[in-house]
This record gives sequence, structure tokens and C-alpha cells, in this order.
Amino acid sequence: MQKKNRQDKTQEEILRGTLDMMILKTLARGPLHGYSIMERIHQVSEDVLQVEEGALYQALHRLELRGLLQSEWGISENNRRAKFYRLTAEGRAHLEHVARRWDKVSAAISRIMRTA
Amino acid sequence: MGWLHGICYRWRGFLRRRRLERSLEDELQFHLEMKALRNREAGMSPEEAMNAAQRQFGNTVRWKETMRDMWSLRLLESLLQDLHYARRSLLKSPGFAAAAILVLALGIGSVTAIFSLLNAVVLHSLPFQNPERLVLLWGNVQRQKIERRGNSYPDYLDWKAQSTSFEGMAAYSDTSFNLTGVPESERFAGEWVSAGYFELLGVAPIAGRTIATSDDAIGGSNTVVLLSEGLWQRRFGSDPGILGKQLQFNGGLFTVIGITPAWFRGLNDNAEVWAPFTASASATGLAQRGSRGFPAVAKLRQGVLLQQAQAELDGISKRLEQSYPGTNAKRAVEVAPLKNELVGELRTPLFVLLGAVGFVLLIACANVSNLLLARSEARRQEIAIRIALGAGRGRIFRQLVTESIALSLTGAASGLLLASWFVRILSDASPITMPTFIKPAPDWKVAAFAAGVSILVGVFVVLVPAYQAGHQSPCEGLKDSGARSGDGLARRRFRGALVIAEVALALPLLVGAGLLMRSFQNLSAVHPGFDPNGVLTLSAALPGGPVAPAQPQATPTPNQRAVVTGRQLLERLRALPAVVSASVSSDIPLGSNSSAIFYSAEGQSITDAQTIPRAYVHQITPEFFATVGAQLQMGRSFSEAEMEGSANVVVVTDNLTKRFWPGQDPLGKRIKPGGPTSTNPWWTIIGVVHEMNYRGLPENPTADPDIFLPFSDGQRRVAVMLRTSRDPSALAAAARGAAREIDPSITIFEVTTLSEQVGRAIERSRFAGWMMTVFAGLALTLAAVGLYGVIAYTVRRQTREIGVRIALGASRSDVVAMVVRKGMVLVLTGIVIGLIAALALTRLLHTLLFEVSEVDPPTFLGVALALAVVALVACYLPARRAARIDPVIALRYE
Repeated sequence: MQKKNRQDKTQEEILRGTLDMMILKTLARGPLHGYSIMERIHQVSEDVLQVEEGALYQALHRLELRGLLQSEWGISENNRRAKFYRLTAEGRAHLEHVARRWDKVSAAISRIMRTA
Repeated sequence: MGWLHGICYRWRGFLRRRRLERSLEDELQFHLEMKALRNREAGMSPEEAMNAAQRQFGNTVRWKETMRDMWSLRLLESLLQDLHYARRSLLKSPGFAAAAILVLALGIGSVTAIFSLLNAVVLHSLPFQNPERLVLLWGNVQRQKIERRGNSYPDYLDWKAQSTSFEGMAAYSDTSFNLTGVPESERFAGEWVSAGYFELLGVAPIAGRTIATSDDAIGGSNTVVLLSEGLWQRRFGSDPGILGKQLQFNGGLFTVIGITPAWFRGLNDNAEVWAPFTASASATGLAQRGSRGFPAVAKLRQGVLLQQAQAELDGISKRLEQSYPGTNAKRAVEVAPLKNELVGELRTPLFVLLGAVGFVLLIACANVSNLLLARSEARRQEIAIRIALGAGRGRIFRQLVTESIALSLTGAASGLLLASWFVRILSDASPITMPTFIKPAPDWKVAAFAAGVSILVGVFVVLVPAYQAGHQSPCEGLKDSGARSGDGLARRRFRGALVIAEVALALPLLVGAGLLMRSFQNLSAVHPGFDPNGVLTLSAALPGGPVAPAQPQATPTPNQRAVVTGRQLLERLRALPAVVSASVSSDIPLGSNSSAIFYSAEGQSITDAQTIPRAYVHQITPEFFATVGAQLQMGRSFSEAEMEGSANVVVVTDNLTKRFWPGQDPLGKRIKPGGPTSTNPWWTIIGVVHEMNYRGLPENPTADPDIFLPFSDGQRRVAVMLRTSRDPSALAAAARGAAREIDPSITIFEVTTLSEQVGRAIERSRFAGWMMTVFAGLALTLAAVGLYGVIAYTVRRQTREIGVRIALGASRSDVVAMVVRKGMVLVLTGIVIGLIAALALTRLLHTLLFEVSEVDPPTFLGVALALAVVALVACYLPARRAARIDPVIALRYE
């Protein structure tokens, strides 16, 4: 793996955190499999946000390892075996926490963008 | 919390690797199919749709890899792979694996065995409460050197009352208790102990109570006793009703008040019966300040240092010296840590042995290292292919180290078995008796030690071979057909260094063994002044009234109530068949049961406290000298008439007569017990014997003479010696039977032979020599095998070169000389280094040697020569094979 400088690393962490938050938020309405999570993010963002597919699965597994998600094999809408992800209680709490922080930060940023 | 979760998942992922793999596979597959479906809906052909889906996703293998790593324990997995590979490659060369494992098992096993002894003796604490604060107090006296004498009861009471350094203090002394008044009388080792003894050690009774202060009052009417759990089970069937019952010990009645746990055998480590200290003697006996003979155990107060306690007791001793100059002149107390007293004498030999087995292990390492080097050369091609295929050098190195550690761990596992077997043999054979509460069983510390050592060894032996394997160029390796004509310089040097190291390591061990064996020979050759062969010895406790405790007195008062006398017993035993002569005495040579008196010689000059003449007194019957096999230099032994008490005659050893009457005829000179002014009758010297090793081998503990007085009947404990023309131990049963016929309540004990007594006195030296010889032999064997291996391997690598030489006209003897010369140059270098190391190391053996210098030239030269001869054979065998090389075949060898 190539080495990254500190700035790159921080940026990557921010991006990763944002992706995590979006996944959690998407799952807040109910269990979904990986593909529909991706579709949902595309749709809701009106195709602005294109999630890299590998990164999405990596994020899902990372969140599961942290205990924020739970996975379960189920049957998809087109009758295929698919892995469904669901928010755990811990995941829900974490989502509330990051969402609040996000609101605060984005509000602050947009205020700056408007006034300055 | 999150990380804990993660670790659990990772473990699960690791344990279910297959399932994880499939799950990742399925999930991505589903994703791609969904995507292809959407693409088809957008109008692509099925094939195109799938291709596009995969293209958009990117490298699925890489993503899967990252996620698998996320879910599993990567390092562990690659370690498992390495181990799997190591197992397969070792199974493919079982000869190599077996040799390496055997050598490692021997090395690691020996080290582990000695370590587990050391662990039990030095690292474990004693099984008492606050063992580190327990000390023994020994009264001592300043003579030519400071001699330990034990304490007297009044001194003990003064120390206890005046000192503040101790939490508690208790006197104890070993004794024996004869249980009588029961169908079968039996003698038990026991201790007289002060109240507080058990509490001080933290030993709680399993039933009843311990000795209270009121039980231990002088002149107390009620005498109590505690029994050990073992005795209670054996003799009384664990009857709980024993508490409160009275038992007859030594003719007196004792009330049983408690049962002590089975593991506790008293500080003397053989006791089964305990009674209050004050019951050990009469009130007048206990009041004698000059009658000394027992230690006291004490516990330092928390935070008090040994030196502080010593200083305080020194002060008390000074005050006592001023108050009681008659009994306490030059008297002091030594404060000695209990652990040193109990196991201190084992430390030096064990550390010496640990050093010795450390050398054995190093030699084993050198052997295995050489094996690994040869193996890595044989695998050059395989390794070259792996490097060419892109394996990193680090990965290759790790693989080789894993393989080597797998070897050494297997070796350690076999070594642990070997060690536990070895420890058992060792503790059975050891004359150095371990306290019964020390059990050298392998525990986690030993296992951890063995594992640690084997991992270190595993890394250590593979360092050079692996380094060389990792730094070969793949091109060279691939061209190599596996048996090259030449041999790399670096490798040759490394092999040479291995040979030198093995020889240099083996030599000090061989020298050590040689010195110890010579020391043992010297000890065996010491003539003790008597002839120990063919003599049976036994002790007998004769029935009768209560016995006075052993006090150092010149003439024990006859006990009128004795039913059987020692001389009655003697008459009966002398009549046994094959008995040549027999004697009864107060004690036997090397029986460590004699006591000393002060005496004065007629006409001697005034002496000070340090030179007051002192002698060890033994009471004997007339045939004693004939039975023990000691020659009278002058005069005669006692006559039967002189046995009757008032003869006032004495036989002395010649160091007494040499002191007072050098060059004069000592017969007829007189000595008497006590000082020059005492009113004791004079004893006339009627015989002189050569100085004997009566009290110790190779030297008596003190240089005082031994004197012999006529045996006075009435003693309760007597020693019998029977000289026989047959095997003395075959006489034991007959002797017991004869004693039983006289009176069944006679207790016979300590049945042994005089030669066993002598053997016991020098067996520590024999044992040390024997142990060292075993390890040195092991070292020599390993070194010889290693040497042979290196030379044989070198010869094989040089097959072509030797073939060329022979083809060019070198004779067979030239070839032999060349190979042997190369080997012996290394060996001689090793011998020189080894001799220098031995010179430095044998100093450590100093305390174990008797009449051998640590730098004894014959031993050094002999050992060096022997090693050189063995090495010569080890070099000659492969050299002979080299000489038989057929040049035609050798040149086609590639």
C-alpha cells in the first residue's frame, strides 16, 4: 500500500465517516441489502453522490465489525438469496450522535458560505 | 465496546474461514447480478450487461482480499500456512527431522530438568506463613573459628524477653518418641517445640489445637502431644476419638491435643510427634545455661532487616556475657535466614549443573544449526524458485524460522517428557535430600521456561542458514543441480566455527567431570581410621522407665528401672552365627550422635576460653576396636573388669596425646572432665588409637580428639556393631529376631552397615561427579557426532575436488591426511579455547572439590588428549570414505 501524507489521511477519514453516516441513515428506515443501499443513495442524492461499490461493501463490513449493523441472509425482491443489513440499537444511537454533529457543522459551514 | 465486538467477529471469521469466504463470494455475486439485471433493463445484451457490471465494480479479487483481511487474523493465518508447509517439508525428510528433534530434545530436556530442580529449590518459597521473614537463631562460640553450638534454654528465654526485632520466637529440638504400652512398640522422630511454634510457621492443626503457653510451662504436670496426620492414619486408623486420649511415649503419659496436616514434618523435616519443649528435660536441666544444643526459629517483625536483628542480638549476647562469664564467654548468636538453612546447600551444585547443561544445549544448537545449514543448501533450488516467483526474502526467512521453531518446539515437547523422567531419577538418586515439602514437579514456570528456551533456540540455530538462503541469487540457485562441486567460503567458515565452538564447549564440561571424579576418588581413598567393610550397625531403644533427654554429660546416670541392659543385648547378638566380634557403644562412627566435654590434662598449662581442651566422648565395650577395625597404636582396650564403672580408665586418639605429651609415652598419663580445678576423678590413659574420622568424612567437623570410656549400662538408646564374615546386611533380620526374643518392646532402628555410613558421607561428592560425567558424556557425544557430520558433509561437497586430486596422482593416504588435517586444525583451535575457558570456569567448582586443585594439570591434559582422540576418530571415518572415492565416478558426479 502506498504511503499517504497526513492531509490525505484526514480527508479519507472524513469521507469514510460521511459514507458510514449515509449508510446508517439509509438503513434507519429498515433492513436493505448492499445493492439497494447503493441505489437508494443514488436516488436520494439525485445522482449527485456516486458511491464506489467496493468501498460500500468495505464500509458495510466495517460497520458490522463495530457492532453498528447486523447482517442476515434473506430473500431479495427478485427472489434471490441476498445479505440484508439492519441497524442495531448501538447503530441507531451512533447515527443520532453523528447526525446531530453533522447538522451543527453543515449549518455552520452554510452560514459562513452565505455571509462571508 | 466496538473493538471487543470486532475481536469476537475476527475470531469467528478466522475459525470459520471457509464459510466467510463463501459468504463474501455470494454477496458480491448477488451485487453483480443485480447490476447486470439493471443493465439488461437498460437494453444491454446479457453478456454485455455482466461485463459492464464487473468493469464498474473494479477488481473484485482485491476487494474480497481487503474484506477477508478485515474479518480475519491475517498474521495467524499466514503462520498456519507456514506451519502447514513446515510440517509437510519436514515429513518429506524424516531422517533430518528425527536427528534434529532428538538432539534438541536432549539439550532442552537436560536444561529443563535442572531448571525445574532450581525452580523448586530456589524460586519457590517455603510453604510457611511469611517465609521470607523466618530465621533460625544459632548460638555459637568463638574458638579457632566460630562454631555453631545451639542454644540453652535460659539464653533462649533472655533473647526472647529482651529482643524487639521479632514477632515471635520458638525453641525446637529433634528427638525421638518411643510409643509403648501398645501391642507393637514403634519409634517416631519428633520435636520438642515451644508454644507458638506452629503459629509462627502458620501451620494450623487439622483437628484439635496446638501447644498453648500453659502447656509449655516449666514443671507443668499435664504433658500434651500433637501427632501428624500420617501417623494418626497409620497407627490409629484416623480415629477422631484420639483427641484427649493418653499415649505412652518414652515411658511417660502424653495427652493428644491435636493432629497436624500431613505435609508438615517439622523444621527437621522428619517429625511425626510434637511435645512441649519444657517436657524435654527436668526443671534443673532446663535451667543450665551452659547446656546448649538446639536452634530457635523466629519471625522478623515486618520491616526489620536481618542485620538489625543481628545487631540487637549481638548487644544482648554482650550483656549475657558480662552477667554470666562462666557460661557465656565468647558466646554469640547467628541469625540465619530459614530458607538458606533448609535448601541453601543445594544452590551451588544446582547452579553449576545449570551452567553445565547450558553448555550441552549450546552444543546441541551447534549441531542442529549445522543440520539446517546442510538442509538449506540442499533446498537451494526450491528456495530459488520461490524467490524467482516473487516471494520476498522476508517471507522466505520467516518460513525457515517457522520451520526451525516447529522443530525446536517438537524437540522441547519430547524434552519435557525426558526432563520429568530425568528429574524423577535425579531426585531418587540424589544424596542431597530435598525437604519433603519441595516437590520438583513441572509447573507452568518450567513449561514456560522450556517453551521460551526452545523458541530462542529455534531462532538462534536458523539465523545463519536462513540468512544465507535468503541472500542467494535466484539465478545461481536455479542453475545449481543440487550437488555443486565447490563449497561457499562463508558457509565453510561457518561450519568451521561450529566445530570449534562444539569442542570449546565440551572441554570445560569434561574437565569439570574429570576434576569431580578425581575428587571423589580422593575421598574414597581416605582411610577413615577404621575398617567399614563387613560391619552391621543398629540402634536399639531399650524398654524401661522415662529416660532423661540426651544431655552432654560425661557419665549418664544409670537408670535403675531398665529391664534389659545394652550388654545383655550384646551377649545375645554376639552369639548369632557368623558374627566375628560385636560391641555395644553409645554411638557409632559417622552416626552424628556424639557429644563433647571439656577436659583437663594433668600438668597442662592454663588455657583461655578458645583453647579449653574439648573431646568427643564415646562409651564402648572391650571388643569395640576389634569390631570397628581400628588399630591400637599403644596400650590395650578395656578389660571386662574395667566395665564395672569405677575403673577410671580411658582410651584416647593420638591427636590428644600429641597435644599434651609430644614425644612422651602417653600410657599412664591422666585426664579428667572439667577444668583443672574440678574435683572429678582422673582417668588414666591405657590405650591410644590413631585419629579416626569418627564424626565426619573427609574431615571431622572439629579437630577435637575422640576419647573412649567403658560402656555404662543403663543407657536407653544404644548402638550395636556386629563384624561378620558374611554380607553384613544379611544379618539384620537375625539381629532383629534375637532382640525380639529378649523383649518384644525393644525397638530396633537405624539398621545399616558401616560401609553404607561411609558411602553416605561421601555420596554427595560421588553424585556431583556422576552428574557432571553424565552431562559431559552427553556433550562429548554431541560434539563428536557434530564433528563427524561437518567433516562428512564437507567431504561430500568436495567429492569432485578430491576426485580430481586422485586422478592427478594424489595417494589415498594424502587424501586421508588432507581431510584429517583440516578437521584437526579446527579441533585443536577448539581445544585451546576450551582449555582457557575451563581455567576460568573450574574455579566455580572450588567448594565441591577435595584435594584436587581447580587447575589440576593431569586432568586438563588428560581430558584434552581424550577429546583429541575422539575428534581424530570422528575425522578419520569420513576421511577414509573420501580416500575410497573413485575419480571416474567423482568427475561425473555433477
